[in-house]
Amino acid sequence: MLELAKPFRMSQPAISQHLKVLERAGLITRRVDGARRPCRLAPAGIDSVDRWLRVLRRALSRNYERLDELLAKTAAIRNQEES
Amino acid sequence: MTNKLSLRVEGERHVIVTRYFRAPPEAVFRAHTDPALVQQWMLGPEGWTMPVCICEARPGGKIRYEWSNGKGGGFHLTGEFVDLVAPSKIVHVERMHLPEPTPDNHIETRFERDGAGTLMTMRMTLPDAETRKRMLATGMEHGMEASYVRLDRLAVPGTARR
Repeated sequence: MLELAKPFRMSQPAISQHLKVLERAGLITRRVDGARRPCRLAPAGIDSVDRWLRVLRRALSRNYERLDELLAKTAAIRNQEES
Repeated sequence: MTNKLSLRVEGERHVIVTRYFRAPPEAVFRAHTDPALVQQWMLGPEGWTMPVCICEARPGGKIRYEWSNGKGGGFHLTGEFVDLVAPSKIVHVERMHLPEPTPDNHIETRFERDGAGTLMTMRMTLPDAETRKRMLATGMEHGMEASYVRLDRLAVPGTARR
């Protein structure tokens, strides 16, 4: 953790807090090795979040393009009725 | 105003989606609450249809969307409306069935008038880290992974066509 903290202008407890959040979210794993607590990225955790967001973005993008078309169509019908 | 989709993660549990529409909030709200309209656009990747669309737009009202790829493949979503304020706000809860239900996703959608159009902001609250860990432990993640891969595969041809 000292090694991780070195490049940041943060106190050790602050770094420790951040690592705890990452660990709870399943993005890193930590083990005990004597006095050391080595951290490791959990690729499965990051992959599944990333992949879920990618699929969500793609589905929503396509949905809203269709909604644009639908809204344009209903606006055209409304204008026709009004004129 | 661009109508590009913005999707960002906020903290550990929130996803914020914003999108501009060239139509007044009344029209955008209606497109989210009238099943005959929802059925025409909430279809996800290319090639899917929604043969069943139940959307009871009142507090406590049921949501059930069933999607089909026309080749025997499909999945569905169920949910409940919590609060509706026409034409500016929808609060609802939803879960996917793949076929195991995913943890509840709590979603607040707001429609704000912006010139002649509408700015939509959707705030999703995802399951907490504990629930996500339990999902992993029960192996449900594998089911979801498989679904993602299927969706990815299905979505690619649609993207290429555009």
